[in-house]
Amino acid sequence: MSLKTKNLEKHFDGVHAVDHLSIEIKPGVITGILGPNGSGKTTLINVISGIHPIDGGEIAIGSQTFSSIKRHEVPDFDITRTFQNVRVFEQMTVMDNLLVILSSRSVLTSLRQRATPKQLDRAQEVLKKVGLWEKRNSLASKLSYGQRKLLEVGRVLAMDKKINLFDEPFAGMFPEMVKRVSGILQNLKQCGKTIVLIEHNMQLIRELCDYVIVMDAGKLLAQGEPEKVLAQKNVIEAYLGE
Amino acid sequence: MDFVVQLTINSIIAGSIYTLMALGFNLTYGATKFFNLAHGVMATIAGYTVFYFSSQPLYISIPAGIFAAGLVGYVLDRTIYSPLRKRKASNMVLLVASLGVFTALESLIALKFSSQHQSLPEIFASVPTFNLFGGSFTAIHLLIVASAAVCALGLHALLKYTLFGKAINAVSDDEEVSKIVGINTNRLMGQVFFVGSAIAGVAGILVGFDTVIIPIMGMPLLLKGIIAAIIGGLGSLWGGVLGAFLLGFVENFGIWHISGEWKDVIAFGLLILFLIFRPQGILKKS
Ligand SMILES: Nc1ncnc2c1ncn2[C@@H]1O[C@H](COP(=O)(O)OP(=O)(O)OP(=O)(O)O)[C@@H](O)[C@H]1O
Ligand SMILES: [Mg+2]
Repeated sequence: MSLKTKNLEKHFDGVHAVDHLSIEIKPGVITGILGPNGSGKTTLINVISGIHPIDGGEIAIGSQTFSSIKRHEVPDFDITRTFQNVRVFEQMTVMDNLLVILSSRSVLTSLRQRATPKQLDRAQEVLKKVGLWEKRNSLASKLSYGQRKLLEVGRVLAMDKKINLFDEPFAGMFPEMVKRVSGILQNLKQCGKTIVLIEHNMQLIRELCDYVIVMDAGKLLAQGEPEKVLAQKNVIEAYLGE
Repeated sequence: MDFVVQLTINSIIAGSIYTLMALGFNLTYGATKFFNLAHGVMATIAGYTVFYFSSQPLYISIPAGIFAAGLVGYVLDRTIYSPLRKRKASNMVLLVASLGVFTALESLIALKFSSQHQSLPEIFASVPTFNLFGGSFTAIHLLIVASAAVCALGLHALLKYTLFGKAINAVSDDEEVSKIVGINTNRLMGQVFFVGSAIAGVAGILVGFDTVIIPIMGMPLLLKGIIAAIIGGLGSLWGGVLGAFLLGFVENFGIWHISGEWKDVIAFGLLILFLIFRPQGILKKS
């Protein structure tokens, strides 16, 4: 499913965090979004995921166009995401963080103590993928920062949506975790998912992304294949001028 | 010595009633983060429902009372709080709205049943008063303590062991993320209000059996529940229980040498001490 923004706007008291941005993100590839600090990358996905209301323009998901997205509609629009500053359910175990998403939400069935075997299997599969199976019974608040980031990636997998938005998932991860998550992203790509990766590390961008979009002050600065875009003069200047 | 025993018994009974009020208050506060003052009138509604069904056997009227309180809580959330939340009303607006609801419902009850106090049907007519180490208590008092224990443990189990409880924890923790990961927070809130209000209903009915019911009974119960919740640590189940018993003991032992009218002064004094020196309560829930 493709994701497009048309003249998208978001401002905070005069700061144009996203400024008339029109981009297209295709399925089956990993699209990197980069840009200096404060260029509006996080705001962009906050708007797409309903955290902030849209101030102008539209968002197209597949064949439908929206001028407003509410938070609770996000899963129905086939969107899921991670957060730059991890947001997992701290007071729950790693396992429960996933079960609460996987479990059906009707009152009577949710009064059962245990999740169904199918839900448990799914949670196990996801936790093994992100390497947190050993930690399944720890409270999320007891995990290291990198492990909490892994748990967020696990949550994205558990949600199993077509559009997956990752906001600096590698920040604070050890090399082996980075490897693991890179593999997961490539796997999602092979499944034909739409993947957005916000990332500052140019090496990772080159390794993983098929396409990159560079933002500066909320605007589109450049887009195209990573090698070409990263060599562009205005892109280099935007980063150096930080 | 007998006096100490009696004060201890009184403290435990008061602590149990405050526990019942604090449990539901903390549950809804945890999920919604606003001070639902209408929580107090749920106790009144349950008490008056039992009174309304006086001609029915208690095994019908008591569940009806608890259910009525839960239902009113649920409906209030659906019709008033939830629409306000959707419009991004601040917690202050919600608090004021709930105060309005409290006053309106209390007045309606007074209109229907008069503002005089009423008695509920006799519950343990043939059971004598118990004596223990020189102190005495009734079967209703025993029921109050047992109900508080059952409700606290039941709520604990609900939150800890069911998927429903896990979803409530998720919403209490981070409502924004809960929505994004597909938890139906709105429906869940309604259910939280049902459960919380029903527990307040239990308190109202027990107070009614122990003494009398009167339309204005909700406010003192609400205030004690809130004090217990605050000194225990807002939003924390066991914090509320601790706060309730601390309040019960301080209040009852505080009036050892003085008149009982000082109880509320002592209760609010305790609250103010906590607000100054430990605003996060005994069990901090960060
Ligand atoms: N909730 C908010 N309230 C006010 N201003 C905000 C808010 N969120 C973002 N901004 C502002 O919008 C601009 C873009 O911020 P944003 O976080 O989207 O940048 P970013 O590209 O993600 O940066 P970084 O690489 O540091 O994560 C900044 O000027 C920031 O201060
Ligand atoms: Mg950012």
